[in-house]
Amino acid sequence: MFDDELSPAERSAFDALPREQMPSLELEERTVALLRQKGHLPTPLLAHKRTDAQTHRKTWLIAGAAAAAVAIFASGMALGQYLGMSKAVQVASMSAQTATEAAAHVQQSGDMYVAALASLGNLRDTSDVVGRERAKQTALTVLGAAAEQIAHLAPDDPLAAAVLRGLNQRSRNEGPVAPSRSVIWY
Amino acid sequence: MNAAAEAVMQDSDRSLAELVLGGDESAFRLLYRRHSPRLYLLVLRMLGGQEADAEDVVQDTWLKATERLDTFRWEASFGSWLCAIGLNVARESLRKKGKREEQWSETTDAAGPAPRDKVDPLDLERALRGLPDGYRTVLLLHDVEGYRHDEIAEQLGISAGTSKSQLFHARRSMRAALDGYGKDEAHV
Repeated sequence: MFDDELSPAERSAFDALPREQMPSLELEERTVALLRQKGHLPTPLLAHKRTDAQTHRKTWLIAGAAAAAVAIFASGMALGQYLGMSKAVQVASMSAQTATEAAAHVQQSGDMYVAALASLGNLRDTSDVVGRERAKQTALTVLGAAAEQIAHLAPDDPLAAAVLRGLNQRSRNEGPVAPSRSVIWY
Repeated sequence: MNAAAEAVMQDSDRSLAELVLGGDESAFRLLYRRHSPRLYLLVLRMLGGQEADAEDVVQDTWLKATERLDTFRWEASFGSWLCAIGLNVARESLRKKGKREEQWSETTDAAGPAPRDKVDPLDLERALRGLPDGYRTVLLLHDVEGYRHDEIAEQLGISAGTSKSQLFHARRSMRAALDGYGKDEAHV
């Protein structure tokens, strides 16, 4: 009754049609933002709810940059407080011209961050519970900000994602306190 | 893709999906980048080339798929399941815009345009965009995506006979459109 087959030329033309086309890059960000909004994906530590993809992206970058600046400054100041060193202030004002320089800065400031943490762990005075807790919160905030930056550099990096996920889970368990507010200014 | 490659892909999709269920964003992005190109072009064609609408449909499809991910049994491929959701979301989008799918017709008219012995794929894409939504859907699923009539019937909630009838009319409309392009070019 409905016998109207395709000719070989028609069949070939259908076969020649592409089957895939990448949508705009913005759509991926929009979709991820929607899934975060609906609670299917965790919200990054320093991001707030956004509905517009472009605004979200720009704000994300600004928030990330601000967090990094605060993190570097806070870690530098903390280090100065604990070790009495002036190098930390220099770290905060570093500006790399090349990737090698930037990597060296990361290494240097990272070493100082770890040294500051070690000194915190080695403190003999254990009576200042509040002070130690503040220092721990600062260390976690810096860790989160560093993971955010790595996630910007390499969105598929599983380690950065795991750190963010863990910190996110922690902040959810501890209540709706904005982590950025827990930075302590020494 | 051969069967072994498909099996590896399916295992990989499943592993990623399990990570997504645990809230892993990078796993979601990998799954998204792997399957969105096929989904996007399918719904873009179904919506007659409306890019903004197609992007909205893709976004809603991923939301629905993520919501239902824990109920997916992995008996079919993840990509097929995703596209099936996408087709329903696209049909819903057409309905919301008031573009009703044509009444299913069981009649056959007099002889239509003859099958063509030469078809430019660009003209074919253009003809697809110009078809009524109902015809385009069946033609797309059968002749582009390779669905069988029983699968189309299940997907669209119609009988297999209706699917055959719609395909018959869709092909005739497509040929008429292609003939029209040929005449336009002859006049230029």
